Amino acid sequence: MTALRVSCVLTLFGLALMAWSMVQPTWMPVMLAMSVGQLVGTSAFAIFIAVIVRDLRRRIREAPP
Amino acid sequence: MVSWIFNNPLTAVAIGCAVASALLVVWYLVRRPALTNATKIVMLLAIGVLPIATATTGNVSGFEATKARTFCGSCHVMVPYAADSADPTSTTLAARHARNALFGDANCYGCHADYGMFGTVTTKLGGLRHVYEYVFHYHSMSLAEAREKIHIRHPFQNATCMHCHSTDVPIWNAVREHASLLPRLRDGSVSCASAGCHGPAHPFSKDVAP
Repeated sequence: MTALRVSCVLTLFGLALMAWSMVQPTWMPVMLAMSVGQLVGTSAFAIFIAVIVRDLRRRIREAPP
Repeated sequence: MVSWIFNNPLTAVAIGCAVASALLVVWYLVRRPALTNATKIVMLLAIGVLPIATATTGNVSGFEATKARTFCGSCHVMVPYAADSADPTSTTLAARHARNALFGDANCYGCHADYGMFGTVTTKLGGLRHVYEYVFHYHSMSLAEAREKIHIRHPFQNATCMHCHSTDVPIWNAVREHASLLPRLRDGSVSCASAGCHGPAHPFSKDVAP
């Protein structure tokens, strides 16, 4: 599940940006959290959904008729 | 810093969700469990529900943070303006508004924000332009040079002042200068913040000594 691990790492990176913006609300952390952070978090969630869909399709394909 | 976070419930919720999400993600990375239905539900919380909750509350908290004077003063070229506003002995228009509880720590935003239906949107777009200009043009500029070169993009609108000072109350019109200039104040041809009236708003504005 390499893709899911990539998704986890991206999630941690996005969360770190969000947390940084709340602990230090200056222009750079806030801008990064609201742009890069959102993009990274959305990408992580999209990868997770793709992994789940791929797993479900595999299970359906492998299920006995 | 910790007290600031816990005085803002949204920030506390966002950080709580972020910590919970991070713990679940680290658990997955360390233990590497099989992708069972239970694992999927846990990971849906870790990668979906909790980060979305963090982003939602964090964005609202972030938008609120952008109204604070400390946020405006986080660009070095704005430090003298923010410092003047925070100075309890300063008599500038900005500092006097900062001492008003209605403005307080959000006095930059209170006076420089646009109002009306799309006021918040246009203000935030203007803020993005400020960030662009700062990053690409003014980031390395000295304070002395910045005072000379940086000017407000559009003339300050009297409508912003009139958001609070309506120009309709008798005590306001009892001031002779107000009464005589009323049409020109309302159409913006005379600025409330002009030198000789209530300005300049900041000690560094318009080449006028403090």
